[in-house]
Amino acid sequence: MLRLVSLIFLVSVFVGCKKDKDDPKPEFNKSALLTNVSEEIILPSIDQFSSDLSDLSTSYAQFVADKSQANLEVVQENLKTAYLTWQTVKIFDFGPIRTNGIKGAIGTFPSDTTVIANNIASGSYNLSSVGNADAIGLSALDYLLFKQGALTDFQTDPNYVTYADDVIEKMVTEFSAVVSQWQTYKSTFNASTGTSSTSAFSEFVNEFNRDFELAKTAKVGIPLGKQSLGIQLPEYIEARYSGFSFEILEESIRALQKVYNGVGFTSGVDGQGFDDYLVHLEKSTLDATIDNGFTAIINKTLTFNNTFEQEMAVNIPELDELYSLLQGHVVHIKTDMTSSFGVLITYQDNDGD
Amino acid sequence: MTNTLSDSVNNFLYRKVSIAPLIMFRIIFGALLLFGALRFVSKGWVEQLYILPKYHFGYLGFEWVEKLPGDWMYLPFIVMIITAVFIILGYFYRLSASLFFICFTYIELIDKSYYLNHYYFVSLMCFILIWLPANRYFSLDVKRNKSIETTHIPQWTIRIIQFQLGIVYFFAGIAKINPDWLLEGQPLGVWLQAHHNIPLVGSFLQEKWMALSFSWAGCIYDLFIVFFLLSARTRKYAYFFVVFFHIVTWYLFPIGVFPWVMIFSTLIFFSPDFHEKLLSRLQKILTKGKKTFSTSRTETTFQPRRFVNFVLGTYIFIQLLVPFRYLLYSGNLYWNEEGFRFSWRVMLMHKEGHAVFYMKDKKTGRESEINNAKFLTRTQEDQMATQPDMILQYAQILKNHYDGQLLHYGDQKFKIDNPSIHADIYVSLNNRLSQKFVDKQHDLTTFDYNLKHRTWLEPFKE
Repeated sequence: MLRLVSLIFLVSVFVGCKKDKDDPKPEFNKSALLTNVSEEIILPSIDQFSSDLSDLSTSYAQFVADKSQANLEVVQENLKTAYLTWQTVKIFDFGPIRTNGIKGAIGTFPSDTTVIANNIASGSYNLSSVGNADAIGLSALDYLLFKQGALTDFQTDPNYVTYADDVIEKMVTEFSAVVSQWQTYKSTFNASTGTSSTSAFSEFVNEFNRDFELAKTAKVGIPLGKQSLGIQLPEYIEARYSGFSFEILEESIRALQKVYNGVGFTSGVDGQGFDDYLVHLEKSTLDATIDNGFTAIINKTLTFNNTFEQEMAVNIPELDELYSLLQGHVVHIKTDMTSSFGVLITYQDNDGD
Repeated sequence: MTNTLSDSVNNFLYRKVSIAPLIMFRIIFGALLLFGALRFVSKGWVEQLYILPKYHFGYLGFEWVEKLPGDWMYLPFIVMIITAVFIILGYFYRLSASLFFICFTYIELIDKSYYLNHYYFVSLMCFILIWLPANRYFSLDVKRNKSIETTHIPQWTIRIIQFQLGIVYFFAGIAKINPDWLLEGQPLGVWLQAHHNIPLVGSFLQEKWMALSFSWAGCIYDLFIVFFLLSARTRKYAYFFVVFFHIVTWYLFPIGVFPWVMIFSTLIFFSPDFHEKLLSRLQKILTKGKKTFSTSRTETTFQPRRFVNFVLGTYIFIQLLVPFRYLLYSGNLYWNEEGFRFSWRVMLMHKEGHAVFYMKDKKTGRESEINNAKFLTRTQEDQMATQPDMILQYAQILKNHYDGQLLHYGDQKFKIDNPSIHADIYVSLNNRLSQKFVDKQHDLTTFDYNLKHRTWLEPFKE
């Protein structure tokens, strides 16, 4: 309280000295941004993902009752839908999503197919154990539902059926905790506008950056061999078995762009986002650079007509170009945007001077 | 002429003054040290900053300083907590002060990623404390050995503390005389606008004139506060500003214990009377009213000691010179950071960088992008990305890691021999758009880490 009083005093001294006030800048408020993001993007996407998971679970039960190719395709389609919604949800790795370890439990890829196969063969496993971290989540289902001869395995191996069921139900159970906890966390989030590294605004900015970098590195860079002396690593491709890696990448970048612009997840309405903050800070050029950068990346992903793995075999220069676009964009959002916000990317509570 | 000058200098340094201010300073500063050490440990920073990281960035000439294995890193902190208590009590004072200084400085020397001006200040102050007779009254040492008790000390023992505090403020003020600070109101502008949600005043904090007002006020405060503290007439008002200024900075910026260190340390500028009253009150509480501080005012001086004069002179000379060593370098100080540390440049920079490192196998010409998180903590990575000397050190860490390694990717194997390390780095300084900092063309392992001007940095463009 003392410090607030002193501050108010100091500012009023300066305000008193100031004779005429020049025209005000466009209204902007971090709290309004956080409220818009939580009400219009986070909560709707969480609800959507929850309902996607429940659709997945229901269709899987139907498939188990009647293991037909047609029913399997319904499950596959539902997995794809959930996978795409997840691209928005995973940006928000703070609050309940962080405390429940959801990003790792649902989104870790690639899966370790050997571990999965061993689990299925033995029929006894604890999916929450560290050793099974690469054998769960959406990526594990991508393998279980889409691998060569999946239908036959489902029809002939009861362990296989149970394993896929366990993976789905684990996600359903764990994510339901997030849905309920976000209802209470919402008010904390909306009000936490401070600049310390533990404030919601800082965490949000930091996770936004992290998610973009993760998309760049994990979805594109590592499979392309960027971290392995140029030797391609197709086993690291996300959604390798279903082959919709590019759609996931596109959706991930689209989700980040929408969050950047504060566009509602279901409403599609453009509300307060990072873009408004930059404009408020008289950095419209940077805002345009960033928005166009997202669009350029999305457009580039749309130029690929085959699966990521197929393109990797024949189209390296184009993929390299995609990667450079992603790489260049990091500087704009991580360095230029974040430093404009006065947010410390310290990632840990520490002193500065 | 020379004689009169040296006489007046000696008169000044060795005038007999009351020991009370020094005793109070020992107690107050000791308490700050104790608080700081406890706070550091309780925040889990020992583990986070010193136990978990795989690599550390040593200071030039001190790279041999290594951390203790595992939980042994808690040892110097335990020693500091105990010796801080001993300093407060004046128990084995000189040994305690020495041990505290050694432990504190050792910890600071391990990794420059955590360099803060106020840590440097604490190190210097602890070093000074070792040599001061701060245990010769109201201490357990006096209880053990009555013969060391004294009520008067030579004036230099108080003045050196005031000098050190004065240096911090005055040089911080000089450093603020630069275009970014005074004309653009940066980096304060960026930091202040981030507080626009504070009730009532928030909306003003995003105005440029407010950033400029804060900048000018801070600069004037830093430059002149010491002189107002020194004058008996203005001292009270000056101290009000000290408290006020530091509380505002504490509220707005994550600067840890620094505001408290300054608020309490500057009490040393107050008169002997003030401190004698404080001390008497303390004595009353602790001795149940039996003993209070009393001195007879004497206008005599102690015998000057040439050795003390020499050491004081050297120390002061170095302190005055070190902040100006940046003048030996060409180029932008904030961009190149040559001669930046140990110069009281407090809160002058908002620097954000993004660094992508590459390890290149010379034989095959193939290169790998480095995942910095495999080697560094986020704090280390952030600091490294904007500081040229750390960039070189990191390149060396990477080279040593990969040299001689056999890497397997798929069914291919590569024996890495003497790899080159490159980096593509962009940095944004004080609210400007980012610019290229380091170009990928350079093999960073070919540059020595020394004090010479670094030519491989991209020049700063306004």
